[in-house]
Amino acid sequence: MRPLIVVLIVLAAWELVSRSGLWSPILFPSLAKIGGALWAFVSRPEGFTQSWTTLYRAFGGFAAAALAGVLLGMLMGRSAFVAATLDPLFSGTYAVPKLALFPIFIFIFGLGSLSKIALIFLECLYPMTIITYHGSRSVNRVLLWSASNMGASRWRTLMRVVLPATLPYIFAALRVALPVALIVAIITEMISSVDGLGYLVTYSLSSLRTDRMLALVVVISLLGLALDRALVVLRNRLVYWEKLDTYYV
Amino acid sequence: MTRTICALAALMTAGAALAQEPTLIRFGRGFAAEEQVWLMSARPDLAPNQGKKYQLKQILFQANPERFQAFLAGELDGGTAPGLAVIFARAQGVDMKIVANICLEAAGQQWFSTTYMVKDDGPVKTVKDLKDGTIGVVGYKTATDLWARAGLLNAGLVPDQDTKVFSLGFPAMGDSVRTNKIQAGTFVEPFYSAEVAKGGLRKLFTAREAVGYDHELLDVWFGEKFLKAHPDVVRAFLADYVAVTKYYLSHTEQAKRDLAKAGFVRTPVEIYVKNADWKRDPNGRLDVESLKKLAAFMHDKLQWLDKPVNVDAMVDQSYLPR
Repeated sequence: MRPLIVVLIVLAAWELVSRSGLWSPILFPSLAKIGGALWAFVSRPEGFTQSWTTLYRAFGGFAAAALAGVLLGMLMGRSAFVAATLDPLFSGTYAVPKLALFPIFIFIFGLGSLSKIALIFLECLYPMTIITYHGSRSVNRVLLWSASNMGASRWRTLMRVVLPATLPYIFAALRVALPVALIVAIITEMISSVDGLGYLVTYSLSSLRTDRMLALVVVISLLGLALDRALVVLRNRLVYWEKLDTYYV
Repeated sequence: MTRTICALAALMTAGAALAQEPTLIRFGRGFAAEEQVWLMSARPDLAPNQGKKYQLKQILFQANPERFQAFLAGELDGGTAPGLAVIFARAQGVDMKIVANICLEAAGQQWFSTTYMVKDDGPVKTVKDLKDGTIGVVGYKTATDLWARAGLLNAGLVPDQDTKVFSLGFPAMGDSVRTNKIQAGTFVEPFYSAEVAKGGLRKLFTAREAVGYDHELLDVWFGEKFLKAHPDVVRAFLADYVAVTKYYLSHTEQAKRDLAKAGFVRTPVEIYVKNADWKRDPNGRLDVESLKKLAAFMHDKLQWLDKPVNVDAMVDQSYLPR
C-alpha cells in the first residue's frame, strides 16, 4: 500500500506543477495528456513490436552475459589461477563506461541489433562475473569438507554444493544485470537505431512531444518492474531455502 | 542609525548601477554554419551596440530539441535554429518567432549546399539504387532528415519502407559509407571537404536539389515575450548582426581566422578558410516563401505536422534594420 501512496503523491505533484502555469505544458504535460499518449502506444500493434525489439536486444545480451558471467565467476571462485588472471582485468575495467565503445561496436558488428546486443553483453558481464565470483568464494567450508569426506568428485561437489550455495548470489547478479540490459538497450537505440523504445524516445523528443516521451518512460518503467518481479518469483522457486524478504514478494 | 543610512545608500547605488546595465540576451547557438552569430562574440568590436544596449551570452547546444527545452525552461531568450525546427516548435505551441536569416541552401557554384554522398566505386549510381539500402542523417526530424526523405521521394522510393533513414553523427558518416554500413551519408562543411580530400566518395544529390528550390537553412529566433518586453534591445542586436554579416561577407577569410582564433571552430584554419560557404543574405532578410513551401512539404508529404502551420505568424522581420 505504501509504495502506491508514494506513486500517487508523485503523480499529484506532477499534475500540480503541470496546472500551475509556472512551466510550459510542453515540458510538463498533464497526466491526461501523458495517459492519452500511453493509450495510443499500447492500443496499437506497433507499440508491442517496438517493445519486443527492445526486449529482444536486452534479453539477447543479458542471456549471453548471464551464461558467460556465471561460468567465469564460478571458475574464478574455484580456481586461484583463473582468479589471479582475470580479477585484475575485471576490477581494472569495471568503472570504464562501456558505452564509449559503442562506435567501435557499430563498426565491427554493424548498425543493426548485433552491435547493441554486444554492448549489452559487455555491460552485463561485469556484475554477473564479479558477484558470482564472490558468491562461489563464500561457500561454507563445512559443506565442502562434508562433500569431500563423503567421497564426492570435484564435478559433483561443484554441481551439488558450490552451485546451489552460489545461486542466491547468481540471482542477485541477475537482478543487477537485468535493468542494466534494459537501460543499455534503450540508450543504444537512442544513439542509433530505426526501431525500439529508445528510438521512439528520441523521435518523440525531436518532435517536442514530451507527453509521448513520458508515456514511453512509463512503459519502460513497467517493463523493468515486471521483469524484476518475474526474476524474484523465479528466484524464490529455485532458491526455496532462502526466500527473499522484500516488500512485494 | 548611521549604519542603516549607509546601507540604504549603498543599496540604492547598486540598484541604480543595475538599472543602467544593458539587457542580457541569453542566446542558444549551434556548432555549424552560424559564423556571423559567433563573430558577434569573437569580435565584439564589430557590434557597436554590444555592451551598451545589450549584453550577449552565447550558449552552445548540440541539438535543436535541447535548445528549445532550455527556452521553455526560461534559460534562453533567443537563438539559432533551422527554419523547419522552428516550424515544429511553433506547431507544438512554443511562443517563438523567426526574426532574421543566417544562411540558405541555395543553387549556384559559389554556394555550398549540404551534400549526400555515396561510395565512389559502390553500386549506388542514382538515388533509385538506394532501394533496400540505408541513408544516414544527423537526427530524426532534422533538416538532414527532410532532405534525405525529399531525395528518396523524388526517386519514387518510400522512406523507412524502401530505404532506411538512420541517425548518425557527422564525424562517423564518411567511414560508415566507405565500410558500407550505410549506402549514402549527409555531409556538411567542414566534414564534406575533409571527406572529399580523403577520396572514395562522390556526390549523389544536394539538399537544394532534393527540395528543388532555394530555402532557409538557419535562422535567428527570439521568444515572443522577450520581443515584446525588449523590442529596442532586439533591434540593437539585429543592427549589429546585420553589420557583422556584411563584414563577414566582405572579409570572409579574416573573419574565419578570427573565429578559429577565438575557439569557435576546431577545423584546422587553413582548411576552414578554403571551405565553400552557404549563401547568406547581407541584410538578414528571410525567404518566407521557402519556409511556407517547407511547412507544406512537412505536412503534406512527410506527415510530420498534425495540421498546417501559419508561417506568416511565426516570422517577424520588423526588428531588422530598414
